Amino acid sequence: MHIAFITFLAAATEETAKAGKSIGLGVGGGLGAVGAGVGIGIIFGKAIEAITRQPEMRDEITQLQWLGFALTEACFFYGLVAGLLAAFIV
Amino acid sequence: MSAATSAPPAAAGGGAAPGRKLTKKQILLILLAIWIGGIVVLGAVYGLHGTRNKAFEPQNEFKLDNWVDLGVFSINKAVLYLFLAGAATCGSMIYIARRMQQRPNKVQAAVEVIYQLMRENITGSAMDERMARKWFPFIATLFLFIMFSNLVGYIPLPTNTEHEISVFGLQIPSFSLYAATANLSIPLVLALVVFVSYTYEGVRAKGPIGYLKGLVPGGVTGAMAVFIFCLEVLSNVMRLMSLSIRLFANILAGHLIILFMAGALAVILGISALGWFTIPFGIALFAFEVGLVAALQAFIFATLTAIYLGGAVAEDH
Repeated sequence: MHIAFITFLAAATEETAKAGKSIGLGVGGGLGAVGAGVGIGIIFGKAIEAITRQPEMRDEITQLQWLGFALTEACFFYGLVAGLLAAFIV
Repeated sequence: MSAATSAPPAAAGGGAAPGRKLTKKQILLILLAIWIGGIVVLGAVYGLHGTRNKAFEPQNEFKLDNWVDLGVFSINKAVLYLFLAGAATCGSMIYIARRMQQRPNKVQAAVEVIYQLMRENITGSAMDERMARKWFPFIATLFLFIMFSNLVGYIPLPTNTEHEISVFGLQIPSFSLYAATANLSIPLVLALVVFVSYTYEGVRAKGPIGYLKGLVPGGVTGAMAVFIFCLEVLSNVMRLMSLSIRLFANILAGHLIILFMAGALAVILGISALGWFTIPFGIALFAFEVGLVAALQAFIFATLTAIYLGGAVAEDH
């Protein structure tokens, strides 16, 4: 009886750990994508606004826009890397 | 042979009249029909339920096996890609520099555009003229090396020694995509070089004490200055992480998603229709990675390097 209970508990813990890892990956990838998506949207929206206001500054604005895009996009990858760490390494 | 020359080109084209060229819209419609038809046929023949394939492990695509065992200096896949990227950087630039002409051809014009970008936009806008002259070779090399390293990674090369294919009885490794920058060590070393060089430049310009004082903006005193100093030291360490992880994770995620879209998903789940369904997305993502991400990540790395270098010597923080 006791041994059966312990085996059951051990199996449950293993399943829970697996579930936790999946949740970690999902939250890391999913929520990271939400935040970065909002940020990238804001950056491109503002860049379009700025270019329509001052078309002569197009080159400088485009350069800044790509810089901002890559910096924001990187935040998604921080979340994703944390999720991958949680799922496969920890 | 006669069939190839005399048959109307519209044989496969369905609605188009014989002899007339297909418009773009018709070609797109035909491709769409082939795609949807393929999904339907494969789904009907092999079914939409597959058995989970446990033998294929996608993470092994990024595993580094030692080919030549030399302890710490072992030669593996990443080292090969590193050599390829270095050779491509030096070889192409020296070749073009040797053959420079008064009236540039297309390749030279493209390289001149890249040079202009590196000289004026990346280096020139972040630091003054004297420093820009000094640090331009470093930043340009970083930019070109990272760009070539990323681009070489999208060429399928026979480097996957885990699975071998037989060509006329000869066992060769199967073709795979891998980039040196998809391994954390290489971006980390590049970021460390950047960190050391901007700290060195800052210490040389202001002296060790002056450099540490310069981390705190002028006008802040007392406990607040100590707090901001700790924050700035922390942010300097975070720069290392953000520089390296940004490059590494971008390239790794790109390779992973190309891998999954180009068939790994179908192989793991055992559904053949899924493979046909995802292949256009795989091609689109491949084009996106080659056309934008490879150069953009190099641009970001070089720009941030220039900004850090410029910021280290700037009088006002």
